Amino acid sequence: MNCEEFELRGLDLDRLDADPLEAAAAAEHAEDCARCDALLNSWRKVRSDLRLLREATRLDAAPARVEMRLKQELRTRREARIPRSMLAVAGWAMAAAAVLVASFGWVRTHHKDVAPGMVAANSRQTASVPGTSSTPQDDQILLAADNDNGEFTQLPGSLPEQSGDQAILQVRLQRGALGRFGFPVDAERAAEWVNVDFLVDEDGQPQAVRLHQDAQKAAVVQ
Amino acid sequence: MKILDEKQDVLLKRAVRGDEQAFLALYQKHQAALYRYALRMTGSPWAAEEVVQEVFLVLIREPEKYQVARGELGAFLYGVARNRVMKHLERLPRESSLDVTTADGSVWHEPADPLTPMMIAEKRERIDQVREAVLSLPAEFREAVVLCELEEMSYEEAANSCGCPIGTIRSRLHRGRALLLAKLELLRDTPRRASAGRK
Repeated sequence: MNCEEFELRGLDLDRLDADPLEAAAAAEHAEDCARCDALLNSWRKVRSDLRLLREATRLDAAPARVEMRLKQELRTRREARIPRSMLAVAGWAMAAAAVLVASFGWVRTHHKDVAPGMVAANSRQTASVPGTSSTPQDDQILLAADNDNGEFTQLPGSLPEQSGDQAILQVRLQRGALGRFGFPVDAERAAEWVNVDFLVDEDGQPQAVRLHQDAQKAAVVQ
Repeated sequence: MKILDEKQDVLLKRAVRGDEQAFLALYQKHQAALYRYALRMTGSPWAAEEVVQEVFLVLIREPEKYQVARGELGAFLYGVARNRVMKHLERLPRESSLDVTTADGSVWHEPADPLTPMMIAEKRERIDQVREAVLSLPAEFREAVVLCELEEMSYEEAANSCGCPIGTIRSRLHRGRALLLAKLELLRDTPRRASAGRK
């Protein structure tokens, strides 16, 4: 090791992590070179001064108030986090509830629609029946599954059906249209609009008819 | 198993979830060294206190900034402290605080030492001179001296803390040592010359 190298690495001689080979070379050089030996001694004095400072400040630590402030910050953040998580849970719960309600509603609607679905199919077939579909009142067709608030009157030419595969088709039409089914109609009231239920067979042919109760009061149907 | 024995990253995960004990374990492990580092770099107890607080606030607020794969938590905390210290040094001209008050503002007490009052006074004066000499170094050289000589870190640890190669740390330390030698030799000689003049 020469003087230049000693200046760069020789002062690491006393360090714990010093390379043993380099440290030995530096010590050897210092023994031979008075200048480098003086440098080493000066540095050792400085190191002892630094050790003095290190020892004097060995127990220095952040004051307790720092810890208090940090604990407070931690608690504040933890408390802030709880409502946020609860909000998230509540959000998910509401979403789940909405899905449940929607599913329930769909199931109910679907269940109700089973019979009317058949009626709807029948009604399309009924549309071809003269006197019911050819009139503009077809637009007013309403479907009902359980409107049985009165007795049905068998249509002329039809036979009573016992199979039970029948549907009720609710229609709003002018009273005069009932004449096409063979019912006598008062000419003066032929233009009145009435709600009528047709009992439709599975082949789509109307079998019987009845007027709604409010209309029955004034019915002329015999 | 004591809480302090747990791995740092495990403690950190717990702390992030709001576990106060885990957080305090981390704090107790690192705060003193960070405080001393900041104090030696800034010379200001107030600034050192701020630095320590900010370092741990980063850990609370932005724990994702620490990645286990990139090194030890201690090195990460030193890195954050270093940034804060450098910002502080950039903001203010060097604060060459020579007061011997503690961070609490109370008067610093000499540890119990079987020395005469005269020796104690000389020792305290010497400590002040060293403190001033260290604080007078340019920040980069000061940092190398503080980490490698006062905190007794290895070159590798110091390099990790500073985020620079080992060669850079060695080079800075070399320059810092040279400046420190010159300053302290000068201070050491001054009383001698004065007393020689009196003879």
